[in-house]
Amino acid sequence: MNFFRVIKGKNAWIFSGMIILTLFSIVMSITFGPATITSNDIFQCVVNECASPMHDMVIWQIRIPRVLVGLVAGMGLACAGAILQNVTRNPLADPYLFGIISGAGLGATIATLILSEEQMLALPLAAFLGALFSVIIVFGIATLLRNMNHLLLTGVAVSFMLGSISHFILYLGDPFATNRVIFWLMGSLTRVEMFHFYLISIMVLLTLVTIFAFHRQIDALLLGDESAASLGVNVDKLRIILLALCAAVTATIVAYCGGIGFVGLMIPHIVRQLVGVTTMPLIVGSALIGGCFLVWVDVLARSALSSVEIPIGIITSAIGSIFFLAIMYRTRKTG
Amino acid sequence: MKLMHYFIVFFLCFTFTVTANESGTEITQNKPRIIALAPHIVEMLFDIGAGEQIIATTEHANYPLSAREIPRIGNSLRIQLERVIELQPDLIIAWQSGNPSDDLARIKQLGFNVVYSQPDTFDDVAKELRLFGKLSGHSEQAEKVANKFLSDLAKIKQQYGQKKPLTAFYEVWSRPLTTIAKGSWPQQFLDICSISNPFYQSDARYPQVNIEQILQTHAQIIIQPLSENQAAREGYTWQQWPILPAVKHQQIIKLDADVVHRMTTRSLNALNDLCQQTDISRQYYQRG
Repeated sequence: MNFFRVIKGKNAWIFSGMIILTLFSIVMSITFGPATITSNDIFQCVVNECASPMHDMVIWQIRIPRVLVGLVAGMGLACAGAILQNVTRNPLADPYLFGIISGAGLGATIATLILSEEQMLALPLAAFLGALFSVIIVFGIATLLRNMNHLLLTGVAVSFMLGSISHFILYLGDPFATNRVIFWLMGSLTRVEMFHFYLISIMVLLTLVTIFAFHRQIDALLLGDESAASLGVNVDKLRIILLALCAAVTATIVAYCGGIGFVGLMIPHIVRQLVGVTTMPLIVGSALIGGCFLVWVDVLARSALSSVEIPIGIITSAIGSIFFLAIMYRTRKTG
Repeated sequence: MKLMHYFIVFFLCFTFTVTANESGTEITQNKPRIIALAPHIVEMLFDIGAGEQIIATTEHANYPLSAREIPRIGNSLRIQLERVIELQPDLIIAWQSGNPSDDLARIKQLGFNVVYSQPDTFDDVAKELRLFGKLSGHSEQAEKVANKFLSDLAKIKQQYGQKKPLTAFYEVWSRPLTTIAKGSWPQQFLDICSISNPFYQSDARYPQVNIEQILQTHAQIIIQPLSENQAAREGYTWQQWPILPAVKHQQIIKLDADVVHRMTTRSLNALNDLCQQTDISRQYYQRG
């Protein structure tokens, strides 16, 4: 099995560490939250029966879905970032650079301003469609330009274009709705349910399975398009499949969690320091670290301030950027 | 631009600070325990004697003094669901346009009883006072408060409703210059005080306008509600535009934004104040 081949040698220890950290994070994070419930109560609730229906509701309908969605969303974003960075051979590639977040923002804007009812259903759907729309435009333009290397630049341009449309609509719209859209874009896990966990899990699993199937070809891409082609890899086709996959995963996550920046850019860079650039260990490592990261960020988001939640995107960007700079500084000195 | 919208909302939030006569607090046994998700709801509940039943609220609900003691469980953007569940309220009164709709939908889905407040007009305030009275078990007092509110309103309408209209520019925000149009809460004040608003027909309820447009209006008065709660809030410097009759004749009416933009019984004080000051301007122009 490919997976076991990854976990051998010095990587074995690193991966065992990551898996233990992930499991530990899942269990520990359930104990944090604004409602005062003791660890003992939570243990009772999970293993046996809850002490009160209030505990039951808080733990099973709020906290566990949040932790699980945080885990898979972090996994998905980090994987998508890692895949994009390897596929485009661009260390700055990030799932949001396709204009996904601005596309989702446009969808959310339209849904918020036009439909006041049924927002639970309409908003994620509109955000998803908006994200997909932006990806299709980006792909379309890059195909027209006959240069997939321009994909990221196209993404930046489309991102600004869709952003300006959203801003124009918001400018004409109701201030309250504007406020909601802006804060929606900052990301949050407060509205998630178990259903979202299943949906995002399926997308993340699909991504991982695809990577397991194609990891050798992606490694070949790292050598350059010509070298990969000479090794028998259908470069364009592979790239399209992987980019589409990343777009789908990110769009699904954005639809339910809003904008969570920096995870896809930062986590793969950290993991690369630990396990190297080869696709398989990089993707598995990114998934584990990305999942842990978002779970803990959400703990901070829901329990750092006593009376309000902090939008999760603010924390990921704040921690992410500092951590990222620190890592770059360290590698500069040693490397 | 989004920053400006954000400012307006914040500005409104700040100004919905609450005030009320502390009504006789009854023993609240067998009364529903309420989460009131906006400062104006808190104030209305205190008005009708149900203040003691509020177990949680959102930020900026700071009047009457006892309202400051109520635990906070969120702001206009996010409500802490876990705290709502923990508190197990019998009733949640939410502000339809001011609370996050996704959180409210989730709260409903969890089986809580959610009632919406959306006072867009003075009549809505009276209606909601009665509704809250019924829901909180204070129908009698609510009826009294609502009736007094409506009769006070009728008196002001009767006194100022038929006066000769004056043209006014209403300055909601100075940077960028923002005014009001049909459908906005302050527009009713202008209607009742016989003040015509040149931007009444704008598409947005709080349109941003250019100084060029304002100079064309020949506004006779400028209404400038200012809030003491906000350090950064500065009025527009009108002195440089003496071409406007309002500036030339110094007919700039300053109001307490905290009272005007508050959708509660206290707004009548601001209404009365505005009508009186407008009347003084009206007399000034008639004399001149």
